[in-house]
Amino acid sequence: MNDQSEGVMEKVWNIFSSMKTGVFLLGVVAVVSGIGTLIPQEALDPKGAQSVSAIWKTLGFTHLYATIWFRLVLGLLCVNLIVCSVQRFSGIYRKTFKPNPPQSSKAIPQKIQAKISGPESELRAAVMKVLTGKGYRLTTSEQEGRWSFIAQKRRWGNWGSLLTHLAFVVLILGALVGSMIGFKGYFMAGVGDTLPIKQIEVSKGNVNENFSMKINSAEDRKLANGERDNWYTDMSIIESGKEVARQTLSVNHPFTYQGVTFYQANFAQGGKFTVDLKGQKIPVVLQDQGGNYFQVPGTDLYLFLSAMKADPKAPVVLYQVYQGNSPIKMGQMSLGQADNIDNTFTLTFDGMAGYTGLQVKKDPGVNVVWLGCALLMLGLILSFYWRPHTLSGIIETKKESSLLLGAVRGRLAVGTQEEFNQAVTDVEGLITAGSAGS
Amino acid sequence: MNETLNNIEVAMFYLMIIAYLLSTVMYWLTLVSKKVWLEHLATGITILGLAGNTVALIVRTIIAQRPPLSNGYEFILTFCWGIVAVYLFAEFRYKIKALGSFVMPLPFLLLTFIIMKMGPEERVASAIPPALKSQWLTFHVITAMLAYGAFAISFGLGVMYLLKSRSDDENGKSNAKGWISRFPASQILDELAYKIIGFAFPLLTLCIITGAIWANYAWGTYWSWDPKETWSLITWIIYAAYLHVRLMYGWKGKKAAWMEVFGFLAVLFTFFGVNYLLPGLHSYA
Repeated sequence: MNDQSEGVMEKVWNIFSSMKTGVFLLGVVAVVSGIGTLIPQEALDPKGAQSVSAIWKTLGFTHLYATIWFRLVLGLLCVNLIVCSVQRFSGIYRKTFKPNPPQSSKAIPQKIQAKISGPESELRAAVMKVLTGKGYRLTTSEQEGRWSFIAQKRRWGNWGSLLTHLAFVVLILGALVGSMIGFKGYFMAGVGDTLPIKQIEVSKGNVNENFSMKINSAEDRKLANGERDNWYTDMSIIESGKEVARQTLSVNHPFTYQGVTFYQANFAQGGKFTVDLKGQKIPVVLQDQGGNYFQVPGTDLYLFLSAMKADPKAPVVLYQVYQGNSPIKMGQMSLGQADNIDNTFTLTFDGMAGYTGLQVKKDPGVNVVWLGCALLMLGLILSFYWRPHTLSGIIETKKESSLLLGAVRGRLAVGTQEEFNQAVTDVEGLITAGSAGS
Repeated sequence: MNETLNNIEVAMFYLMIIAYLLSTVMYWLTLVSKKVWLEHLATGITILGLAGNTVALIVRTIIAQRPPLSNGYEFILTFCWGIVAVYLFAEFRYKIKALGSFVMPLPFLLLTFIIMKMGPEERVASAIPPALKSQWLTFHVITAMLAYGAFAISFGLGVMYLLKSRSDDENGKSNAKGWISRFPASQILDELAYKIIGFAFPLLTLCIITGAIWANYAWGTYWSWDPKETWSLITWIIYAAYLHVRLMYGWKGKKAAWMEVFGFLAVLFTFFGVNYLLPGLHSYA
């Protein structure tokens, strides 16, 4: 590598290791995110997004959070966070595990400082007693004519900031994994239906799984006071014709099988019918309001449930039959009633059936996201609820018999000063008591 | 039974609003008069208001048979509780009575908002959709309440700082006269605001995370960029920037105080602005 490219590398490194870059990028994320809440986004408001003029759509303003350049900003932020963390690691490591006692009185923090006079051995004993009593870990150094120490309390707090920043990278990686692999889809099915997972409507990704879902029951359960309790779906997973798992799910209580999670998202009423096609009896479940259709095998006849009166005791349905695109018959039936359709088949209404809408998702990144969240919280707790205190002191016997004590100010000068004053008072108390006793 | 409870709740609501108004006025009077009994009275009325607030929340829990955290009205009551509880803690812990003059108008204004903008149908304890039946909702709202309450306190401290520091000389020594002279030194105000934001920031983070966990249970997505989520992220970024620029440029004092004010405006926008100006999933509260 020649000098010039080394110079460029250094500049790039400097840009990425700067906190200013990080704050600037965060600012960009904030501004872009804010703009995204003012312009309708395709993912949340597809109709609204359609009405935005074409130029904004082309520039990505209607799918801001999925645009390459928004991801690029997040990527740069990650790089910045990683570079900053790498640069700070050794310093934090040394500070926590290999603290250096001061080599001269100049190395004692000056803004928060005090001097305590007394015999050397008593000062040493007093300061060690007071600080260990307050939970400090002391590292001492003794050289000719000089004794010094550095004392730390809550030293793990030093790691809070680094952990917080790395947690952010883990979070973004988790989100990236989720957006690259995995899938998201939706299906609606009636009671008794069995549906291969490959046939669901997929809005993102590809389905590689091979099992089927069977809906055993679907229910819109009400409480005694008439309010909705929840929607419940009893569902089985079928693999090679065998039931391998079964669970009842409801809103807020999803069901996960082999990394694929099913969420109760919707519910509709439907009707159970029997289609009798020349002696062959086919059970059919249709969703209310024409949500789905049934094609009578070997014909171009399509059966719809246009409307229904969902009275559990006396349900009534209105069905429609299409031949190709044109409606050929419409009829009303009550429970148990049968109609002959076009002399081709007989339709019998067998009763009401729940129709359940399930969101299906496979997101291998989600656990990485939770890991990131856990690390983020741990880092923030260490940063803000576990602030470290560092005190150092020196006795230079050549000059005079006194202890020069100082505290690293940290981010809270007033609090540190209070903690420091308390320690000084305690040490002085011991020295005076010692002198009075001798 | 329910009627009695409803009456108690309504009575407590008016007790709160009167107490918060009176305590605001009392705190203002303590700024101009040095009477100690006035200060005690202001604190006493604030405690009374908080007691009324607490009872109102408990009664609502009994009526609704669930935590009172499910619509705009209930959330404003919890928000007020958070502000006043964190305020009283700060008053006792740090002995800054003047802070009440800048914090106590907030719960009063929030309750006035309920009276002016919310009809009875919006206040009633109604049935909640299945999506809201989750333990995570409770964690989500409690962390929001404490974080927002603490941000309100840092807002009050920021305003005090801006008033106080106008009369500081180059060495940071105050030449303030009159009522402002009784504020604590500007450095103490600045550091206290920083400390309180340091307390609130992890809670805001936890609020966003518990929201994400809950959304993942309910809808299968932990983050969908709906306006409420996005604005909570923006608020989070503002406070994150506050914490960073303090280290980076040594932005203490005035600039920090402006960020404390600005940050709280973002909190209010996340809470009100998003619901009333922008559409989204968070149609509940």
